[in-house]
Amino acid sequence: MDGIHDLGGKLGYGPVDVNEPEEPFHADYEGREWGMARTARVSNIPIDWWRHTRELIDPEDYLNRSYFDSWAQTDMAAMIDAGIFTLAELKSGISETPPLGQIETVDYDAVLKHNGTLASKFEHPVDAPAKYFVGQSVITNAIGHEGHTRLPEYARAKVGVILSHHGGHLFPDDCAKGIEAAQHLYTVSFKATELWGANASPNDSVSLDLWESYLDAS
Amino acid sequence: MPSFDPKKITKIHQHLHSHLPSDPALRVKALETILVEKGLVNSENIDRWVEVYADDIGPKRGAHVVARAWTDPAFKARLLADGSKAVGEMGYAGPASGHLKAVENTADSHNVVVCTLCSCYPFAILGMAPNWYKTAAYRSRVVREPRAVLAEFGVELSEDTAVHVWDSTAELRYLVIPERPAGTDGMTVDELAKLVTRNSMIGTDRDLKTGGV
Repeated sequence: MDGIHDLGGKLGYGPVDVNEPEEPFHADYEGREWGMARTARVSNIPIDWWRHTRELIDPEDYLNRSYFDSWAQTDMAAMIDAGIFTLAELKSGISETPPLGQIETVDYDAVLKHNGTLASKFEHPVDAPAKYFVGQSVITNAIGHEGHTRLPEYARAKVGVILSHHGGHLFPDDCAKGIEAAQHLYTVSFKATELWGANASPNDSVSLDLWESYLDAS
Repeated sequence: MPSFDPKKITKIHQHLHSHLPSDPALRVKALETILVEKGLVNSENIDRWVEVYADDIGPKRGAHVVARAWTDPAFKARLLADGSKAVGEMGYAGPASGHLKAVENTADSHNVVVCTLCSCYPFAILGMAPNWYKTAAYRSRVVREPRAVLAEFGVELSEDTAVHVWDSTAELRYLVIPERPAGTDGMTVDELAKLVTRNSMIGTDRDLKTGGV
């Protein structure tokens, strides 16, 4: 989706504010939202559909809201869509259906241990052999599509070199539609001059992790 | 079940925009309240998660990984070959570290990490991402003019130093291994870990200070 979220290479954004405090959370609500994202007993919202839901936030809202505020907005939209609660319930704070049962209270060490189990794997078998090999020159698709995709606009119709092959990984463009499918995943390296023209430094590169259907042999 | 219908989501976003307060604290509170009502979250457990990410899980984990790589060549080889496994070996597995790739700075190359499409970050070893990492300014500019962005962080690079930008577009997450500073030969892993800054593991810091200066 050619949306506001696809920020790579866009011009007009100012200097980076490098002087922020070191604390992990800068406001209480950031920690609350982070904790909810880690613990909410909501299992049927795939990560890629969640990311697409975030991309679909109104563009002005997307740029103006803080990161965790946009997570909250994404959770709310995805959960209302999935029938977990209604907008009326969210506004009133009162559930019209009985709770699904109590969640056991856990201590600090149990949370630390649970955290250690959350290293999700996205590898997935693919029947077809890999089309490309390390060192091969490839060209990316020129045109995107309306759905969720992980090929940014700035890296379209560009020639790069396969740096590594990661085997089959779940394909986000399909997963965001509720279809569990996989494709070969590659890290592709592009010269900065290929992406940005002759003013870029000839020594520099940008690498992206790209699925097989984003690529053609060049 | 999700509808997987983008038009429906756009409409819900509009409703949320008109019906909820604009203060993020109130919006997040509304979400927590209804999830508690539904029996889907436990507020005390959220308190614990906040504490865990404020105390135990943060850049000091990544710093320890880097310091060990500096002092233990066999570990460094394992880290470069399979970052997730090496980090798991240290007991540091966790969210967004299932596919971890370590990239190493050298005298003539520098690595820097971004996620231009959202803000993917290796939470399990670096903790919460700094705000700047999630801003439109960083996400838009660091792929196009990395040297200008690095200069804002105080990192000045000569033209001969190659800059490699890693855009985390899939589920791989990146950890930069900064160069070990000179004059640290006798230091222990714990002492070395204290020299490793969070930004150096993202790539917006380069020359680590040896302390005491």
